[in-house]
Amino acid sequence: MKGERLRRMIDLHAWVGVASGLALFVAFFAGAINVFHHELHHWQEPHFAEQAATPMGMDRLLEQVTEQYPDARKRLYLLPDDDDPGVMWLESSRGDWVTAHATDFNAQGVHEEAPRSALADFINELHFSLGIPNPGWPINIGMTFMGLISVMYGVALFSGLLIHWPKIRKEFFALKHEGNMRRYWKNLHNVIGIISFPFHLIMSVTGAAMGMFTVVAVLLGALVFGPQLRGVITEQTEVWSAVESQGNTVIMPRMDDVLSAARNELPELTVDWLEIRGYGDAAGWIDVAGSVPGYVGHHAHVVLDPTLGPLRVIAPGQRSLNFASLSPVYSLHFGDYGGLLVKLLYFVLGLLGSLLFVSGNILWCERRSDRTGPGRSSAFLLRLTLGVCAGVVIGIAFSFLASKLLPHTPLAGLVAMAERGVFALILVLLVVWSLRASPLRFSSQMLRIAPFCYFAIPLVQTVLEGSHAWLEADNRLVNLLLLAVAACLWVVRRQFRKRIRQAEPHPLWVGNVSEGDPKHLTDTEREAGAAASNSAR
Amino acid sequence: MKYFLGILLGLPLSLMLVGLLAAALPMPWQGWLVLQLIVAIILWMLLVLLMALPAKTWPPLIALLVGNLAAWLVLQATPLYGVGA
Repeated sequence: MKGERLRRMIDLHAWVGVASGLALFVAFFAGAINVFHHELHHWQEPHFAEQAATPMGMDRLLEQVTEQYPDARKRLYLLPDDDDPGVMWLESSRGDWVTAHATDFNAQGVHEEAPRSALADFINELHFSLGIPNPGWPINIGMTFMGLISVMYGVALFSGLLIHWPKIRKEFFALKHEGNMRRYWKNLHNVIGIISFPFHLIMSVTGAAMGMFTVVAVLLGALVFGPQLRGVITEQTEVWSAVESQGNTVIMPRMDDVLSAARNELPELTVDWLEIRGYGDAAGWIDVAGSVPGYVGHHAHVVLDPTLGPLRVIAPGQRSLNFASLSPVYSLHFGDYGGLLVKLLYFVLGLLGSLLFVSGNILWCERRSDRTGPGRSSAFLLRLTLGVCAGVVIGIAFSFLASKLLPHTPLAGLVAMAERGVFALILVLLVVWSLRASPLRFSSQMLRIAPFCYFAIPLVQTVLEGSHAWLEADNRLVNLLLLAVAACLWVVRRQFRKRIRQAEPHPLWVGNVSEGDPKHLTDTEREAGAAASNSAR
Repeated sequence: MKYFLGILLGLPLSLMLVGLLAAALPMPWQGWLVLQLIVAIILWMLLVLLMALPAKTWPPLIALLVGNLAAWLVLQATPLYGVGA
């Protein structure tokens, strides 16, 4: 590529990178934890020494829910669990989805909404929509925004590939600084980008496809296929058509029989959830959804009528091209196709991705400052980057702590609100602080605090819940992951301090926002200043 | 500004180009909707990338506008719009 074109490609890479970097940092850090969404759901449930009596089974739960909430009869999701099965349905009076677990029902079978931690859902929302609330609009603003961010991320990836392709071999293992901090950030950025390029390409394309789906569908309908596209999308992506009730009732089969019938149709099926449309209606149907292990596109559905007659089987090798291409979009994005090893790989690549976006923003700030001289925009972005990153990392840790601590206090009813509130509060505080403090000092302080925050979470759970924190498999896994995050932050802290000792940081890091004196001095600068004044005496 | 407009104009063009591909291929468009979505997204990213190559700002933007108009006109000649499942 000619020099002039290369420069324009670097400009594009920087523009889309800076515009999307902070949102991507949030998505990747939360996403790395969200890889273990299912395990986190178990982890967040408080464990008390005196547990309640054995909760009701799936059939009784369904009976109680559909009796007390008629909306649930139209469409509900059953989450099978030996200990505490759950049901989700759309409650028209609230205009929102409601989840009820078997343990939420008292001895008389009446639903008593118990305050529950919503940590896993909050982390998930942070990942796919930055936690931007959806007020029930036809378009999810946060998710669409993240879809757009994913497109910019894809552009940054392709432009990054074009920039680095000619020297890719040379840069592959070049993590060195030679007394130049910027070279270190640049090489770190390049090495992570090159090593994890396929992962990032998958994330950007699948993320954009999921996030921009509504916008793309509307535009495709308006420009290409016409208004009937909506019906076609429903027909091509729904497992079975909507219930057309004739008013005939039916006694619903036992859920164990439903699961047996589904396994009879698809013996290798691992069940994740059941969708029931038209509960108690002869025209209703039951979708037993799950996985067929051994495939990337592993999603499978067995649709049954209320008499357990098979209506449709969707599984690898028995599905349309649309289902065959939709399944890998989800599984490649969520990393749930290859067991624990692949999930751990996604977790590591997610954390490395976070580092990629921080280093990219830092590089841009330093490069701009070098090109155009010290400026407020690069100083502001550097501080904002550090503030947002520290706020997200430490804020999430405090959400975890709130999730474990509050159920053991009189404020247990506020746990779900506190998880979000404490995150938002810490994020805002740290961003404000970062905008006022010296970036170098702020980073040092945050990197000193952050590992302890993540180390404290398993510690708090162990103190509160005893051996349950480590004996239960999902708890153990989540706690080990949190300790891994603490260890990673500790390594970043050590590397950061080492670099500061080995090479003088860029002037932007010590508060040189304008041509004037630094507002905050580093230790090195203080020592140099003291030495100069001593020699003057 | 150039890149922002590129993102804005790149989306409809990529979708219409995929629509033209759907019209050209001898298979029902309803059967590969998800693949169309993925192809359109990648095409959108590549169109924004192409915007960065010319030195001047306006020629690529005008090219995108003209491309959108041309794709829309060609689409009118296809039987895609209004054809249901």
